[in-house]
Amino acid sequence: MTTAAQLQGTAPRGVRGAVGATATFRRLLAKPDGLIGLLILAVFVILSIAPQLFVGQLQTAVTATGHRLEPPSAVHILGTDELGRDMLNQTVHGARVSLAIGLLATIITVAIGAVIGIVAGYVGGWLDSLLMRITDFFLVLPTFVLALILTPIIQSLVGSTATEVFGIRMTLIVIVIVIGITSWSATARIIRSQTLSLRERAFVDRARVIGAGGGHIMRRHVLPNVINLIVANAVLTFAGAVLTETFLSFVGLGDPFQPSWGQLLEAARASGAPGLGAWWYFLPPGICIVLVVLAFTMVGSALDDLLNPKRRGRR
Amino acid sequence: MRLRYLSRRLGSALVTIAFIALINFVLFRAMPGSPERVILRGTPNVTTAQLEAARLRWGLNKPVFPDQFVAYVGATLRGDLGYSFIARGQTVTEVLAQRIWPTVILFGLGEIVAIAIGLVLGAYTGWRRGGFVDYLGNGISLVLYSTPYFLIGMILLLIFATTLHWFPTFGMLTTGAQYPGLFERAQDFVAHLVLPLTTVAIGLIGQYAIVMRSSIVETLSEDYVTTARGMGLREGRILRRHALPNALLPTVSLIAINLGYVVAGAITVEVVFNWPGLGTLAVQALTSRDYPVLQGVFLLLGVSVVLANLVADLIYGALDPRVRT
Repeated sequence: MTTAAQLQGTAPRGVRGAVGATATFRRLLAKPDGLIGLLILAVFVILSIAPQLFVGQLQTAVTATGHRLEPPSAVHILGTDELGRDMLNQTVHGARVSLAIGLLATIITVAIGAVIGIVAGYVGGWLDSLLMRITDFFLVLPTFVLALILTPIIQSLVGSTATEVFGIRMTLIVIVIVIGITSWSATARIIRSQTLSLRERAFVDRARVIGAGGGHIMRRHVLPNVINLIVANAVLTFAGAVLTETFLSFVGLGDPFQPSWGQLLEAARASGAPGLGAWWYFLPPGICIVLVVLAFTMVGSALDDLLNPKRRGRR
Repeated sequence: MRLRYLSRRLGSALVTIAFIALINFVLFRAMPGSPERVILRGTPNVTTAQLEAARLRWGLNKPVFPDQFVAYVGATLRGDLGYSFIARGQTVTEVLAQRIWPTVILFGLGEIVAIAIGLVLGAYTGWRRGGFVDYLGNGISLVLYSTPYFLIGMILLLIFATTLHWFPTFGMLTTGAQYPGLFERAQDFVAHLVLPLTTVAIGLIGQYAIVMRSSIVETLSEDYVTTARGMGLREGRILRRHALPNALLPTVSLIAINLGYVVAGAITVEVVFNWPGLGTLAVQALTSRDYPVLQGVFLLLGVSVVLANLVADLIYGALDPRVRT
C-alpha cells in the first residue's frame, strides 16, 4: 500500500504507526481465525501470569497431593503423574514455562533476524553477500540437530544450572539462547527483501541527501517501515519456538525443576505412560501445545495477510 | 547456461558442507576442559604421563590452526570420525553404520506415504476450494502441522499397542525372539514398523497438504488456466494437464526445505518407539554426553539434508527451464 506520504517522500511513522496498530488489531478481530487464535492465547496468557491463583503452588515430589498415576477423578480432574503430582497443577504451571521460553526465544530470534535483514538489505555489497550466505546456511541446515549439540556444550560452558535469571533456571535460559541463534534465518530473509525495496524509495534517498548516516536511516526510516512485518513474523516465530522448546525438552534437555509442557511429555514417556494406558499424563500438556501452536499460527497468518505487503490483496 | 546452473548449485552445496565441518570442529574445541581430559573421561587416576601420551597421540600438542584443523579435515574426508566414548572400542563410523538403515527405512517409507497422500489431499482441497472437504482438510492439516510428531506417536501407541494390542510397543524386532525363517523375521519387522511409520506419515501429511493446496490455488488463478477454461476443456483435464504439473514445481523445493524440520521429528519419533535409528542414537549420545557420536550424527544428518536439497534443486532445474540460469 503506497500512501500519499510515501509518494511525497516523507517517512510515514510516529502517529500513523499508532493509529495503524489499533486499526490492524480491529481488522484482526474481524477475521475468524484471528479472533479464535487471540481468544485461545488470552486464556493461556492469563493462566501463565498467575498459575498459583488457579491451581496453587507448583507441586513437587514432596508436596504431591495424590498417589501414583491416579486416573482423573473429582479431586484430581486430570489425574496424577508417577510421583502423585496433580496433572492440572503441572499443566497450568507448564503454560508459564513454555510461554516464557517461547517469548524470550522469539525476542532473540526476531531481533537477530531483523538486524541482519536490515543491515544486509540496506548496506548491500559484500556484506550483504556474506550475511546472506550465512543465512542460507542456517536455512538449509537441520537447525534442530545443531541445537541438540549446542545445548549441552553451552550448558557446560555456563556451568551451574541452578542460577536463575528473571526467575528462569539457567538450563532453560540456555535453551532460549540456542533457539534464538539457530532460528533467525527465515526472519532475516523476509526483512531483507522488504528493506531492499524500501532502500529505493524517495524518503530514504531524501534522508541520504540531507546527510543522514546509514545507522540513522536504518533506525529511523527503515525500521519503522518494516516493523509491521517484524510483528507478523514474530507471531509465527513464536509458534516455532514453542515447538522447538518442546522437542528439546522431549529429548531430555529441559529442566525437571521448572517443567514446561515438553518436559512433562518427556517425563510421561520416560515413565512409560503410553504403555501403562495413562493417557491423562500426556494428553493435557500435549493438547495445550497443539492449541498454543495452532493459535499462534492462526493469528500469525491472519496478521501476515493484513500486514505483509506481498500478500496483501491476494485471495 | 545449463553447466553454470549445475556448477553454482554444486559449489553452494560444497560451501555449506564445509561450514558444517567447520562448526563441528569449532564446537568440540569450545567445550570446557582440555580435549585430552574429555577424551580420557571415565579413566580413573589419570597421570601426567598418560595425559602427555594422549596429547601426542591425538596431535593435541600441535597448534589448533592450521595443524589440528588440517588433520581433522583429512580424517573426516577419510570417514574417520573418532571413537565413541560410550561404545568402547567402536569407531563413530561403525556406530553410525549400524544405526543408519533403520532410519532410512522408516523415513524413506514415511516420506513416500506422506508425499503421496499429502499431495493428493492438497491438490483435491485446493481444486475444490471453499467446499466442505476443503474446510475439513485444511483444518486437519493445520492441526497436524501444529502437533509435535512424538505426541502423535504416543497417542497411536496408547490406542493400537497398549489398548488394542494390535502392534508391539517398542523396538525393531522382538527382543530375544528366534525366527524359523526369513519370512517370520520380516513379519515381525513389519509389525514393529507399522506404528512409527504411520506416525511419521501423519506428521508430514499436514505440511505437504498445506503447501500443495496453496500451490494449486495459485496455479488455478493463472491466465493459462482461464484460457484452457475458455477453450472449453473439462475441469478434470485442466487440473491434470495444466494445473498439477505447474503446481508440483514449488512443492518440490518446499519439501526439500522442510527436510531440516523433518529431521527434528525423526529424532523424537524414534525415541517414542525406541526405534534403533540415528534419532535414538543421538538422544543416547546426548544423555551420556558422547560428543564424538553426537558430532557424527550432526555431520551425517547435515550433509544428507544439504545433498537432498541439492538433488531437489537439480530436479527443479531440470523441470523448469526458467531457473536454469
